[in-house]
Amino acid sequence: MDTKQVPESLQRIEVQIPDRPLWRIRAGLLWESFKSNWKLFKRNRVGLVGLVVIILFAILGLAQPILFATGVWDAKIYDVRTGNDTRVRIAEMTVVANVDEVIDPTSQIDRRRLIAEGENVQVGDVIQRELKHPWPPDRHHLLGTDPNGSDILSQLMYGARAAFGLGLLAAFVTVFIATTVGSVAAYFGGWVDSFFMRFADLLLMLPILAVLIVASSFGRFKLWHLAIFLGLLGGFGGTAIVLKSQALSVKVKPFIDAARVAGGNNWRIVTAHLIPNVMPLSFLYVMFSVTGAISSEAVLSFLGLLNIQMSWGLMINKTQSAGYLLNPATWWLIVPAGLAVTLLAGAFYLAGRGMDEIINPRLRNR
Amino acid sequence: MSGYHANAFTKGSPLGRYVIKRFVQMVVLFLVFFALSWIALQAIPGNSIEQQLRLNPNLPPEAITQALARRGLDKPPLEQFWLYTKAFFTGDLGVSWSRYPQPVSKLIAERLPRTVMLFSVALLFQYLIGFQAGKYLAWRRNKRGEIAITIAGVSLFTVFYPWFGLMMILLFAVKLGWVPTNGFIVEATWRGAPVSANHVMVIMFFSLLAVTAFIGLTSWASSRLDQPNRRRLVKIGAWVVGLGGFWLFWATNQYLVYAKDVAVHLVLPVSVLTMVGFAGVMLITRTSMLETMKEDFVTTARAKGLSEAMVRDRHAARTALLPVSTSLVLAVATVIDGGIITESIFGWPGMGQLLLASVVSEDIPVALAAFSFTGILALLGHFAADILYGVLDPRIRVTSQG
Amino acid sequence: MTISNEVSNDAPILDVRNVVMHYRTEKGDVSAIENVSFSLKSGESFGLVGESGCGKTSMAMALLQLQAENATFKGGEIVLNGEDMLKMNPAEVRSHRWSDISMVFQGAMNAWNPVHRVGAQIKEAMDLHIRPQLSHTESRERIASLFEMVGLDPEMMDRYPHEFSGGMRQRAIIAMALSCDPQIIIADEPTTALDVIVQDQILTELKKIQHDLGMSIIYISHDIAVIAEVTDRMGVMYAGKMVETGPTIEVFHNPKHPYAFLLLSSTPSITGPRRKLAPLEGEPPNLLDPPPGCRFHPRCPFVTDQCRTEEPPLAEIGGGHRVACWNWESVPPLSEGLRK
Ligand SMILES: Nc1ncnc2c1ncn2[C@@H]1O[C@H](COP(=O)(O)OP(=O)(O)OP(=O)(O)O)[C@@H](O)[C@H]1O
Ligand SMILES: [Mg+2]
Repeated sequence: MDTKQVPESLQRIEVQIPDRPLWRIRAGLLWESFKSNWKLFKRNRVGLVGLVVIILFAILGLAQPILFATGVWDAKIYDVRTGNDTRVRIAEMTVVANVDEVIDPTSQIDRRRLIAEGENVQVGDVIQRELKHPWPPDRHHLLGTDPNGSDILSQLMYGARAAFGLGLLAAFVTVFIATTVGSVAAYFGGWVDSFFMRFADLLLMLPILAVLIVASSFGRFKLWHLAIFLGLLGGFGGTAIVLKSQALSVKVKPFIDAARVAGGNNWRIVTAHLIPNVMPLSFLYVMFSVTGAISSEAVLSFLGLLNIQMSWGLMINKTQSAGYLLNPATWWLIVPAGLAVTLLAGAFYLAGRGMDEIINPRLRNR
Repeated sequence: MSGYHANAFTKGSPLGRYVIKRFVQMVVLFLVFFALSWIALQAIPGNSIEQQLRLNPNLPPEAITQALARRGLDKPPLEQFWLYTKAFFTGDLGVSWSRYPQPVSKLIAERLPRTVMLFSVALLFQYLIGFQAGKYLAWRRNKRGEIAITIAGVSLFTVFYPWFGLMMILLFAVKLGWVPTNGFIVEATWRGAPVSANHVMVIMFFSLLAVTAFIGLTSWASSRLDQPNRRRLVKIGAWVVGLGGFWLFWATNQYLVYAKDVAVHLVLPVSVLTMVGFAGVMLITRTSMLETMKEDFVTTARAKGLSEAMVRDRHAARTALLPVSTSLVLAVATVIDGGIITESIFGWPGMGQLLLASVVSEDIPVALAAFSFTGILALLGHFAADILYGVLDPRIRVTSQG
Repeated sequence: MTISNEVSNDAPILDVRNVVMHYRTEKGDVSAIENVSFSLKSGESFGLVGESGCGKTSMAMALLQLQAENATFKGGEIVLNGEDMLKMNPAEVRSHRWSDISMVFQGAMNAWNPVHRVGAQIKEAMDLHIRPQLSHTESRERIASLFEMVGLDPEMMDRYPHEFSGGMRQRAIIAMALSCDPQIIIADEPTTALDVIVQDQILTELKKIQHDLGMSIIYISHDIAVIAEVTDRMGVMYAGKMVETGPTIEVFHNPKHPYAFLLLSSTPSITGPRRKLAPLEGEPPNLLDPPPGCRFHPRCPFVTDQCRTEEPPLAEIGGGHRVACWNWESVPPLSEGLRK
């Protein structure tokens, strides 16, 4: 902005070069700015809530392999797909007249079936029976089991890892592409700019889910396929537009001119000056992209369109295909998974907003 | 009346040029979209249309030859594309594979109005409610309740949508029994009905549109009136006449029972779509308001002695509306996505469900047509939002010159 | 156009008495206005001058009760026509805004709402304050005559702000400020962002309008030459305090506060007496932690021990000329400059 500042700041760096290597100065500056930003972030309660939830889910995701490795959990019982608790669990069940009256399958049983099995009972009797899966939560299965007998908590933990893996991969692909495209479009302008921006408009306009559904007819997506695909869509789409406008505002700063005058070639200016200055905003968009990726994955696996081991969306999909979907009595089949998607996607969004208030000066409290 | 008219140039023409430019852009975008989706669906590995046809046991062999000949599938790809395009734009969308021999155009004609109804009602509510909520949220910044509302808004914004829909069904349909769990109509009510469900829905749609337009336009016109009292009177009058007219129209309508049936089925999907979408609008409005509230002209408005409500509504909110109306462009895509989920959860037999079903059953002609029409919907929404933006922002004239 | 102010009696229409206003920030309180007093008579023009950041805009905003949200008044009175604005409720304050005090903003470039026509924005204020309310045609005619007065084509009233140039916007703001016949107009650096020729035209016009309509103007600028040109009386602010007030001619030719003295010596003057240029050294203090005693003492060439601990009062030195300095008598005449 103020042209007078340029030589001054350049001078300052030159003075420091002899006694410390450049990377240490950079690291030091980074650490300083991190510390001051962290102070700002901490004051933003909404962002802090998001961060705490993210950390909790990260712990949840990392805990599962530890539980298996230490033998606390037996893979035969707790594996997310093949695990099946074959122990016998006895429950008290009330006899009701027929199948239609069974509201809670864990505490009610229909008389017709019992009579067919040769037991003579009356409606209203309470009998001891072996409980079929899904089991409600107990000491061994803190969140109960699914209709196949696998542990819900274990699935939830696996799902956390899947969500983090997918979300972060998609987000980094998005941001990597968007930063590059945005910086290049801003720096070179002209037809390069028009091309990328019109393309971004087109992608922005697409209903992503419809595209993903159509794309999944190519064969079932694996998780990382989806991550890359989402990353590409986001990276060439909306995020590129935002980062381009940021890059444009960096481009007019005097140090870019200074670099050009000093004889830097275009690519060097883009990579060494433009991109690093677009980075803070890029990191912000990592957060928002994670939110989008997690939600998309959950929806697709909920619709049964993904080829994956286990995920939160798939948990609900399986509940649906087993016919337990609209039953409040078996809440543990649907509530934890749905809540997990909501919480983690929301947490990344909240953390992103917290960062936004630091990075985006227009939102700062005066 | 002293004659200080702005000249015709600044008033009409540039906006007109802007509209035309946008329209041309829209058509070009659609062609690109159309071509891309055709290529994508052709490129499905191991899914050459012939192979696909032969795999389908529902299809008699003569149908296969017929279908291949009609599409000219022995011709080179470019010509195939040209044939398909020609057929598409003359309204011949082919025949469904999974529901052979139903023509695709019939399927689309049946599904499209249902989807448009669901989307437009939901979109309307999303923006009305979201904008108002965002406005108050920004105005109350740093006051009590802000954090709670923000967190609630963000939760709704990022909620796992299908799950949220299911929870709402569980609560309002299963537990409380206020509304049906799913579907679009109750068959029993319509047995022997003198009219088709789609027809009733179209009437519903246009009556709703008419009332909204009437209230909206009258309120807008009332803001030109000088006296606050008269302004208020006209505004209240518009609501009374609008809602009264709507009531009168339906109370005397012979299709009332049928309309009620459709309406009852609409309540839950529209509410869920609204709840999820309004939060996004609210958050955008809040950000936009916070930025606008720092502008000098807001201080000017205060200095003029305007009341806080006037500063908020006429100055801050009116200007904050601009980015929000841009977001409408994106919302159209989001609503379509949301619509697909909503339709599949609530069993609403619209385009979204058709798209999903056709992809799952690999019914390519239907998938392609459904996808294209989804694209057309998105584009029309995009176009409408662009026009709205041009109308709302007088500065658009400057950019439209270039 | 009717002129609402009475024939000049001696009671001031605006009396600012010992106002103290602080901004609360994370780093502590910014004492932006510290014990400032001045008064304004009907038809008079008063200039407020000082370096950037000394609290001029804060003072102007306080007069309209438009201070930022983090501002708090720690004392004082702002008496408008016998009523203390600081004790009014929001509705009363609003009824005085624009009808009694209007303002030409420092950032007038952005003072227009981009989505409404300029005429409509002016009409909005008139509808609120002029009683009985004017009809549509009457308002348009009034706006047209205001536009003519400030040198704008009346047809422009149906245009949007982005169709105006910077100078035109500024003129339109002046027209808007005049629209409700206020007693006082505050002009906060009304010409800073404009080029010199336009600046001059607008100043001349303002002066003429003030003369014709007989209203009072508070003129704010960091440029003491501008103030000298257009005002009857003036005040010099330094770091939130009023350090010298008096008739403009007196202060301009015979500054007695060292700050005013240095400010004038560092301003080359074409019209005034020849002087030696003496630069004003150092920087204004940080208002988060202002120096004790006289706030100017760290930069003052006449500093004594008393200045470092005791705050000098704004004391009359004759002819309505008041100075807040312990050593004002050691300040030499401007023509001699500083001996070094
Ligand atoms: N909202 C605020 N919060 C905290 N400090 C503020 C605020 N507004 C102004 N200040 C500080 O108060 C002091 C006076 O500011 P003010 O805008 O009144 O100065 P000014 O004399 O008008 O300067 P200029 O000539 O640059 O317009 C400055 O130090 C400024 O940093
Ligand atoms: Mg100022």
